[in-house]
Amino acid sequence: MMPLAYPRRVAALLLRFAIWIAPHDTLDWGHGMLSELNHVHGSWAALIWAMGGAGVLAKHAVLAVVLPGSNRRTASSAGELFAKEGPMRKTTLAAIVACTVASLLFFLAPVFRQAFHVSLAQWHDVLHIRRTLDYQESDPELEDLARKAEQNHDAEGLAFAAIRYCDESESARLADEAVHLDPKLSWIYAVIAVQHSSLSEIDRWVPELEKWDPQNALPHFIVAEKIDIDQVVREKIPHRVEEQPPAWQNALAAAFGSPRLDNYHDRLKELDRRVLLRYGLNDPYRVIGEERWYGLPTYAAWDSSRYAESILKSGELLEVQRNRIGAVEKYWAVARFGQMMGSAGGFMMRRVVRDAYKQLGRLSEKERHNEEAAFYASVAAQIDNAQQEENISIQNRFRGGDVSRWNAFIARASGLMMLFSGGLLLTCALTVIARGPSLRLSPLRPGRLNLGLGLGGAIGSLLSSAMLYVSYRPYAEILQRFIRTGDTSRIPELSEFLAYAQIPLGAEQFKHLGDFVFYFWVGVTVLCILALLLVVLRHFQHRERANATI
Amino acid sequence: MKIPRISPQTLRVLERFAERPTAWCYGYELSRETGLKSGTLYPILMRLAKFSLLETKWVTTEDGVPPRHTYRLTPKGIELVRSSLVAAPAAAKGRRPAFSGGRA
Repeated sequence: MMPLAYPRRVAALLLRFAIWIAPHDTLDWGHGMLSELNHVHGSWAALIWAMGGAGVLAKHAVLAVVLPGSNRRTASSAGELFAKEGPMRKTTLAAIVACTVASLLFFLAPVFRQAFHVSLAQWHDVLHIRRTLDYQESDPELEDLARKAEQNHDAEGLAFAAIRYCDESESARLADEAVHLDPKLSWIYAVIAVQHSSLSEIDRWVPELEKWDPQNALPHFIVAEKIDIDQVVREKIPHRVEEQPPAWQNALAAAFGSPRLDNYHDRLKELDRRVLLRYGLNDPYRVIGEERWYGLPTYAAWDSSRYAESILKSGELLEVQRNRIGAVEKYWAVARFGQMMGSAGGFMMRRVVRDAYKQLGRLSEKERHNEEAAFYASVAAQIDNAQQEENISIQNRFRGGDVSRWNAFIARASGLMMLFSGGLLLTCALTVIARGPSLRLSPLRPGRLNLGLGLGGAIGSLLSSAMLYVSYRPYAEILQRFIRTGDTSRIPELSEFLAYAQIPLGAEQFKHLGDFVFYFWVGVTVLCILALLLVVLRHFQHRERANATI
Repeated sequence: MKIPRISPQTLRVLERFAERPTAWCYGYELSRETGLKSGTLYPILMRLAKFSLLETKWVTTEDGVPPRHTYRLTPKGIELVRSSLVAAPAAAKGRRPAFSGGRA
């Protein structure tokens, strides 16, 4: 239970603070309210009294800023009785300076600079600035890295840049140069071919890839993808697999015949890590930029499932022709290929594979191989379960972890608060300088309201800096662990946090981000108009108001 | 004399002053008797003073107790009260105390 004296103490503090920020012509009134506080019966009644009085004084303090002419200095009859201004002003100034310096000191820590950079990501969409994650027309940091890598004949640096370059021809050139320096990096051809599927160099790269990694299905998918893209561009997409050109059929047949599928994700992560460490890059958006990369050509899953369905149908046809061995081979080919594709095949491929196992089960049942039939049925059921689990996992990932979402919210709010506090501090400083007799520091005498707002800005800046640092610190550790040791176990967490950090604060309520951006700029325009009106109002402030109300 | 527009709350305060035109009143006493909270009462008092209808004074009541701010109508204020109350005699009806108990 709260002691009864506390509300009265709070009331006195509240009124004293209000008096402190109040303009000179209201000081008598403020002290009058404070002296009456001693006569108000009841602690809570005293608090209500103080709140009302403080509200009146605060209103006058705001008006004194908006209409400086109303802040007339009057001869206070009781001024001497309450003169405690000097020491308080010095203490406040010292507190403002201390808080500001402390918040600036945060910038010395690389983790904080990184955190600040992340907190600014929410403005990218609002200000129409492209993100590091997006492909950009020019990326000075990447261009600089590529230049250094070329000068140092650093094949890995060149490969790193080639994978991230937006310009297709430049990307291909850097890739060729990297592979020329180190033929072990031939796999980057596959990565770049997946990203830029209409590159003319692909025709030259695919044979090299097949030679370098003959068991991989990926080069065959790249060939099929190029044909698919060409069909999409020409708007001639065959609806049936049988209508596809022989080159597409051959590519898919070769992919089906390949013993494994490697999208070189692990190699890519290792290369990223080494280059990031070598060039001292620590931009989290650049580091996790490729994390969202699926790693397979866009049409790979669709092509695979369509081709697998056609094989399944040919198996059924063989069954009708009483060629049981041929049919089983076809079903097994689909099942084996589905296993090779794994989750990359997506739900379409999984459905075809499940059907293949069902067909195998049905055949076994027909031949009264009950154990085999039960085995195939259980595998088909497992595929269904795996699909459901993956759906839940995708939904959870889409919703995001509560911790990452909450931390991203704190980071965004802290970043916003830092900007606001910094702006407030700057405005106060400029106001003091503008109203001062000269630009020298000694004669500058900040007013009470300026000091109050400045103190608020400085404290806000310090608190928001600390909050930003604390909320980002765990993610900086995840990033550093990945760069130093290659530990990717918590990279999805970082990825999730960074994705949330990019959403502007308040935009969650909008269905489309574009709507939020629109309303944001409408709000800014309205505020600008209000500011303009305020300037006009200040201009006419000396005019006497007719029909005044008392 | 130009009579400004008067709100019902201001009229209530003026009516209270009119009861004892020459007596000095404390803020809390006025609040209790008019039923107005400090956030309403003080802006009224401040505006009355601004129009030179109210005069203020600091008084020391007893040793160790901070001085209190007191208020009284000026002759101009008394004149306004008379003319206003004639125009709106029933404006101050329905008052209720802001705080229970207390002293002036």
